Amino acid sequence: MVVIAIALILIGLFFLVVAAVGMVRLPDVFTRSHAVSLTDSLGAFCVLVGLSLYQGFGINMLKILVVLALLFLLNPVIAHATIRAAYRAGVKPQAEEDQ
Amino acid sequence: MKSSFPKQFIANTLALFSVWLILSGRYDVSHVVLGFLVSCGVAWLNTGYSHSPFHDFPWGRLVLYGPWLLLRIVESSLHVTKLILNPALPIEPKLLTYRSHLKHQGAIVLLGNSITLTPGTITVEVEGNQLMVHAIDKASGEDLTSGRMEQKIAGMFQEGKGHE
Amino acid sequence: MTTFFLFVLIMLSILILVYLYRVIQGPTVFDRVLGLNGISTKSIILVVVIGTVYGREEMFVDISTGYALLNLVGAFAIAKFLEQRGTP
Repeated sequence: MVVIAIALILIGLFFLVVAAVGMVRLPDVFTRSHAVSLTDSLGAFCVLVGLSLYQGFGINMLKILVVLALLFLLNPVIAHATIRAAYRAGVKPQAEEDQ
Repeated sequence: MKSSFPKQFIANTLALFSVWLILSGRYDVSHVVLGFLVSCGVAWLNTGYSHSPFHDFPWGRLVLYGPWLLLRIVESSLHVTKLILNPALPIEPKLLTYRSHLKHQGAIVLLGNSITLTPGTITVEVEGNQLMVHAIDKASGEDLTSGRMEQKIAGMFQEGKGHE
Repeated sequence: MTTFFLFVLIMLSILILVYLYRVIQGPTVFDRVLGLNGISTKSIILVVVIGTVYGREEMFVDISTGYALLNLVGAFAIAKFLEQRGTP
């Protein structure tokens, strides 16, 4: 159990590092938000599931999973609100419009 | 379309009370009774607004939808990881308009949330059933316009409507 | 085991510094908001890891839940305000 937990936490850290690299390298707000979406969905998932496995079965595992569900519900909403504000305020994406 | 008041009230109370039980972590009499009374009160105050988009949401099928979405997230995360770690940075950002055929409000909420949660695509604007989506490269955009995710959600909601 | 968790904590702190670079550097104000959102997600993970190190998960998990909800309200307020005001 502990070995699986450590492996999951390391995988999650790898995705978090990739997201930070993307945050520095990518050119504009819209593409950077993809990097944040990546870290929030997969990195946080792996790290928190690893921590809850390290706890073992019990009330603490359930509580960490509640935090995880909250992150999965709230993070897309925050990303969408920020991006919609950027689009409506007139930040132009470097992209061609397409049907 | 309109669900009855007591059924909705009992469902809300049970949902709030289970969240209380998980988060409080103490099971002596005073805490449990206090939690039950508080969740009854909050549910009583908040029941009866039937124009919420979740009023006949198929909660049971969400359990089946979750693992499928997780698989898609892993799949497209690996794709975006390859894009970011590539030294040439081969991205072609694209803004595309996507018209969905879903009618239920909750289905459109779920579709927009799933699109944003999947790395590579993000919902920019929603008007009625027309979604404006920003995709990071061609493969992610084509994955969306092939309509796999929408078919899955449509199947889920058709079954939910059939019971009514 | 504590050594491993210390390693995780140090990695998360370095990641927060990288995001802070984006917050300070960002060309538009929306880059800064996005960076702050990423920092708050890292902080939530950080608080849960600290709880695991100290063996007091039940308290620290509650703190991180509150932090996630507070972050949602703050992000909405900033997004609404900037949407009405237009780009600076």
